[in-house]
Amino acid sequence: MVIQILLLCGLVIFSGLAILLKDLIKAALSLAVASLFLGIIFFSLAAPYAGVFEISVVAGLITVLFILTIALTKKGDEVNEARVVKLAFPIFFILFLLIDGLVMKSLLQKIPALPAGPEAGNFGEVLWRQRTFDLVAQVGVIFAGVLAVLALFRKKEEDKDE
Amino acid sequence: MSNLWFLYLFFAALLIFIGIYCLLTMRNLIKLFIAVEIISKGVSLAIVSTGAVKNNILLAQSLAITYIVVEVALVATALALIINIYKKNKSLDVRLLSKLKG
Repeated sequence: MVIQILLLCGLVIFSGLAILLKDLIKAALSLAVASLFLGIIFFSLAAPYAGVFEISVVAGLITVLFILTIALTKKGDEVNEARVVKLAFPIFFILFLLIDGLVMKSLLQKIPALPAGPEAGNFGEVLWRQRTFDLVAQVGVIFAGVLAVLALFRKKEEDKDE
Repeated sequence: MSNLWFLYLFFAALLIFIGIYCLLTMRNLIKLFIAVEIISKGVSLAIVSTGAVKNNILLAQSLAITYIVVEVALVATALALIINIYKKNKSLDVRLLSKLKG
């Protein structure tokens, strides 16, 4: 229980740092550390496949994409954010923390967790047999992403030719 | 276990709050996208923790993996779009995009 709370606190702290740090590289690295914490939480919840995906894809691949984009947009961190934003963040955060705590406390007392039967089979059977349509949709989404990236950069080349 | 479930939902709501706050207040396009990522982390945490509590962890894992794949495709497309916007405007300030109005 204590370890879970520490991991969750680490996740929230690094997510907060990711939006508060001015340096975009440091912000992207904070996001990667937050993903790492989330991956460990998934492992502790007996969800190793989701944990592996979270650490390898989100903490790894997406961080690389972010850093690549930051490198390609060198002057990007010159955008001036309003000062009030960072000053007001702790106030709103604590306010939301209190509201969130009260809501969760009231839910805990009034709404019981719904019972559910235990699952049969293993992860492979659930993913490939029960969620087959999801896999088809995943392939579609990946192709859509690839085509969108190609289309976005192809347009630039056509402009050069003109 | 029910207490633990509400604890996870509590932290998931906090992550979603951080993301929404950043989306509403920040001006840098990359920061806005980092906010989207933080919101998606909150949603992933809610999905997997609910699955773990309800004894449906296998189904929750498969949903989380589908969600991560969608997230990667979204990130790749959005970052390509951000690079194009930067090349055109020479800035990542989201306020400059208001030129697209009308």
